[in-house]
Amino acid sequence: MSAQAAPAHATVQAAEQGGVLLKLVIFSLSLGIVPLTSYFASEKYVWNGNSTFAAITAIVAANVVLVAYIISSVRDDKAEREATKPSESRKDR
Amino acid sequence: MSSCPPYAPFFGFAGVASSMIFSTVGAAYGTSKAGIGIAGLGQFKPELIMKSLIPVVMSGIIAVYGLVVSVLIAGGLDPAQDYPLYSGFVHLGAGLACGLTGLAAGYAIGIVGDSCVRAYVRESKVFVAMVLILIFAEVLGLYGLIVALIMNSRASEARCS
Repeated sequence: MSAQAAPAHATVQAAEQGGVLLKLVIFSLSLGIVPLTSYFASEKYVWNGNSTFAAITAIVAANVVLVAYIISSVRDDKAEREATKPSESRKDR
Repeated sequence: MSSCPPYAPFFGFAGVASSMIFSTVGAAYGTSKAGIGIAGLGQFKPELIMKSLIPVVMSGIIAVYGLVVSVLIAGGLDPAQDYPLYSGFVHLGAGLACGLTGLAAGYAIGIVGDSCVRAYVRESKVFVAMVLILIFAEVLGLYGLIVALIMNSRASEARCS
């Protein structure tokens, strides 16, 4: 990488790290909070005390959080690659 | 010998504890082993770290499976009601089923996560294969959870004689 691109890259990295950390914290907390709240809420209000269905609801909620994480990380990676590609092609010309 | 001895809740609570303990051991192994690979990857390509954290999140899901089964079994334990030894054994079996399958799944996720994350540094097409293998490793814990749910739903069938 050329010396001109290094400062821009460093500022982009610094700006990204704050956002990345926040996203990770949100996902970690939701991975703990979402299944438990969905278990107790669905047991009380949706399934009328049937705890097996409430457990299934909690597991589905946990897997939804997982899939959301995978999709958001793939999308972030794609957006980042689109952002760095046009600047490099302009330099080649 | 009655079918509701006073030591029956020992097995019920042992089921609650074993579900949480063993699945957490599996999740801890998975997190740490995958973390070793991510620390290696982060030196060379830090922009790939968010995608390579997927094994760690999947290990967390294994621990959530154990947590949900613990909460489920503990919700069926009530000192005010009769607790036959049959229910104690069913709860113990459910806890062990979920806990030990979570241990197996976490072990698999750790090893797969470590190697695939290291390979992802050089070849980006490994990512899809990694996610597929991790999904197969995680459904092992899901099978244990399903068996635990089925067993737990039959825990209230016996009566005190």
